[in-house]
Amino acid sequence: MSSTSSMGSTAVRGRVAIRSIGSIVRDHLTYIIFGVVTLFFAVAAPNFATFSTAEAILRVTALVSIMAVGMSFVIICAEIDLSVGSLASWSSMLVAMALDRGVPALAAPFVVLACGALVGLVNGLLVTKLRIPSFLVTLGMLSVLSGLALTVTDTMPVPIVSDGYSDALWNARLFGLPVPILWTAVIVVVGYYLLHLSVFGRRVFAVGGGVTAARFSGVKTDQVKVWAFVLSGMTASLAGMMLAARSTAGNPSLGKGLELDVIAAVIIGGTSLFGGQGSIIGSLVGAIFIGILGFGLLVMGLSTSIQEIIKGAIIILAVALNRR
Amino acid sequence: MTGTAAHSSMPLVRMVDICKRFGENRVLRGISFDVHAGEVHALLGENGAGKSTLMKVLMGVHEADSGRIELDGRDIAGRSVRELLAQGIAMIFQELSLLPNLTVGQNLLLGREPRRAGWRIDARALRREAQALIDQHGFDLRADTPVRSLGFAQRQMVEVLKAVSRGARILIMDEPTSSLSLREETQLFAIIESLQARGIGIVYISHRMAEVFRVARRISIVKDGLLIGPMAAATTTPRELAQLMSKSTAGELAGRRAPSAAPRERAEPVLRVRGLRTARKLAGLDFEVGLGEVVGVAGLVGAGRSTLAKALFGLLPDAAGSVEVDGQALRAGDVPTAIAAGIGFVPEDRRQEGLMLGLSLVDNLALPGYANRRGAGIVSRGGAAALFARYRDLLHIACRRGTQPASELSGGNQQKIVFGKWLATAPRLLILDEPTNGVDVNAKAEMRAAIRAVAEQGVGVLLISSELDELTAAADRVLLMVDGRVSRALTEVGTESELRALLQADIAARRAGTETSAAEQRLEAA
Repeated sequence: MSSTSSMGSTAVRGRVAIRSIGSIVRDHLTYIIFGVVTLFFAVAAPNFATFSTAEAILRVTALVSIMAVGMSFVIICAEIDLSVGSLASWSSMLVAMALDRGVPALAAPFVVLACGALVGLVNGLLVTKLRIPSFLVTLGMLSVLSGLALTVTDTMPVPIVSDGYSDALWNARLFGLPVPILWTAVIVVVGYYLLHLSVFGRRVFAVGGGVTAARFSGVKTDQVKVWAFVLSGMTASLAGMMLAARSTAGNPSLGKGLELDVIAAVIIGGTSLFGGQGSIIGSLVGAIFIGILGFGLLVMGLSTSIQEIIKGAIIILAVALNRR
Repeated sequence: MTGTAAHSSMPLVRMVDICKRFGENRVLRGISFDVHAGEVHALLGENGAGKSTLMKVLMGVHEADSGRIELDGRDIAGRSVRELLAQGIAMIFQELSLLPNLTVGQNLLLGREPRRAGWRIDARALRREAQALIDQHGFDLRADTPVRSLGFAQRQMVEVLKAVSRGARILIMDEPTSSLSLREETQLFAIIESLQARGIGIVYISHRMAEVFRVARRISIVKDGLLIGPMAAATTTPRELAQLMSKSTAGELAGRRAPSAAPRERAEPVLRVRGLRTARKLAGLDFEVGLGEVVGVAGLVGAGRSTLAKALFGLLPDAAGSVEVDGQALRAGDVPTAIAAGIGFVPEDRRQEGLMLGLSLVDNLALPGYANRRGAGIVSRGGAAALFARYRDLLHIACRRGTQPASELSGGNQQKIVFGKWLATAPRLLILDEPTNGVDVNAKAEMRAAIRAVAEQGVGVLLISSELDELTAAADRVLLMVDGRVSRALTEVGTESELRALLQADIAARRAGTETSAAEQRLEAA
């Protein structure tokens, strides 16, 4: 009896050790893949490992990074927000039109941000009060917003003439860095605080980890979900305004398809689609990963169509390996 | 020995030395069990004793860790549910598996409907065949009645007929009378007799002693993963079985009760409930729980005990009536206020309601502490970890580290986490709904000791339990609940069998009341 139990415990200890090594590898798999791919490009692609390349990539991925921060809250709540891409398009139109109609360049972004929050609020209320799956609610919202963006000007882009606006959100440099990178840093810091340091963040994880148990522990689960959608809406509209600043125009198709990159970034970053797990840093790494992949393949001279195929395959692979 | 000679010597199905563990929880610890053709073998046992796990092993839902299962002498271990169903092992579930939108005939012949050319279902032939099947078994049913319009007993008949017509030779009936009226029970027993006459073996799971003695030839008890018996029904008595079922940790824990505790119930109440009712389950409850007092709640499944717990905790927005903690009135449907007032709630369903299984132990333990904080406030990681360390030591929680997900712990240790997360809020009143459900013997003893320890620190405890020996061991007073009202409030807790007898009497009285004249009942209530 005693000999079998001690044998058993040795075996268990061995299994535990293997499992903990396995779990370390699994927990940091994203970073391992990220490192390998980056290393590959650094060796194989010409002029890849330079500061200017890094800056260019971060600049390009700023939009996806910012939206991924908001999306992280939604996905950790075990919901999804498909409307972010078309909300970005709509926000670019909205801010361009506001500036066009003479709204001060300092006020317009706040109005648009409030609109983004409102869209998130509507998404959240439909999901929580009417109990419609978020996939359907935000799919509908995607269609409504892209339709709206196309209708307001009959598909015409609206030019932005305010240099101050474009500088503040995209073109200027501050402390030697392009502003999009700084905006990304600000959003990541705020997102990190909210998700990982604040009481709200604990509630987000609780809702995703088990919505019933969270309710039985005093979490107002509906409220938490609504806030997650509001955050996602706000980051999407900020990204939309940055898009408008980049192209110095509001354009109804600017954000088209962006939601897929954003969701992919969050999932690659180790956030579980089933909720309850994830991190802001992971989402940031996921967004940069997608950027590096696109940029690296481009530098290696592959056409954008081939890029899409390789990108898709790597995303599926990363998610498959990240699955629990 | 008695009566076996009348049957074939070889059992229809035989389970030998079955062991099954879930994580660190040994649910079945070497159980041997068999059923002969044409006999009813009753299986008794408290919730969490392992009855349903044993039956799920037989059904092929779970695979046993060790042991043999033989059907007609052939080994059938490791077969799938589908294969075993084809071999003739079927279960009649408590929540029936019929499709209410279809007719009796369509349900009976589901998936094997008579066809006409071109895959069309021949409705007329279907009705004819189904009716022939019904008549052949002598059931009082019509093939073209929609199942929706049938009563519970009739649905059960359809379910039995469906299983038998598919060649079932072993029927597992799990609490078949739990939703039946007295008349329907009589019908069911007649059906069981006719099934026996056809040589079908029946495993009959029930809590109700009287009916077990009425239908079963042999009786076995599952207790903490072990099997007691089988005993011949003719040679044992309900009294003896009750003793066997309750002989357990209750004895050892009885000694821990403060023997000369002054009657505390007149001390200031921490909880005062007046006229608590909900639309469907609760019909107006009045009671109090005093400081440092453990008040037990006994009753059958469906009596409204869990609804009571949820209503007190603010989980039911439609609850009416007044709930006061320390004289402060609570609002229905507001959990944070209930927590702020000092209520802690260990719910019945640990895995769904008690824990976020994928999250870490620390996160689980710390969550109720955030209920009344502002969302933007900063969380202290170190504080949460220290809190966890304190309750891990206090409750002897066996775990590797605090960052481990809750899903990895055994049932007993998971329950300690749920218990600990409410202790950490320094509650005034703890509501415990089946706190020892599905945990092993030792964890049960520890949990019961912890309940007493908490009460001695002046916390009021409302202890809901289906295990009457738990109530007699841990409670100072017991409320009996029948159909959403307190039928009796006992100031003295007697022995387990006294409690059982009182509860059964109240249920019978209530049933007789509803059966004889519903009108009279209404008058009485008014």
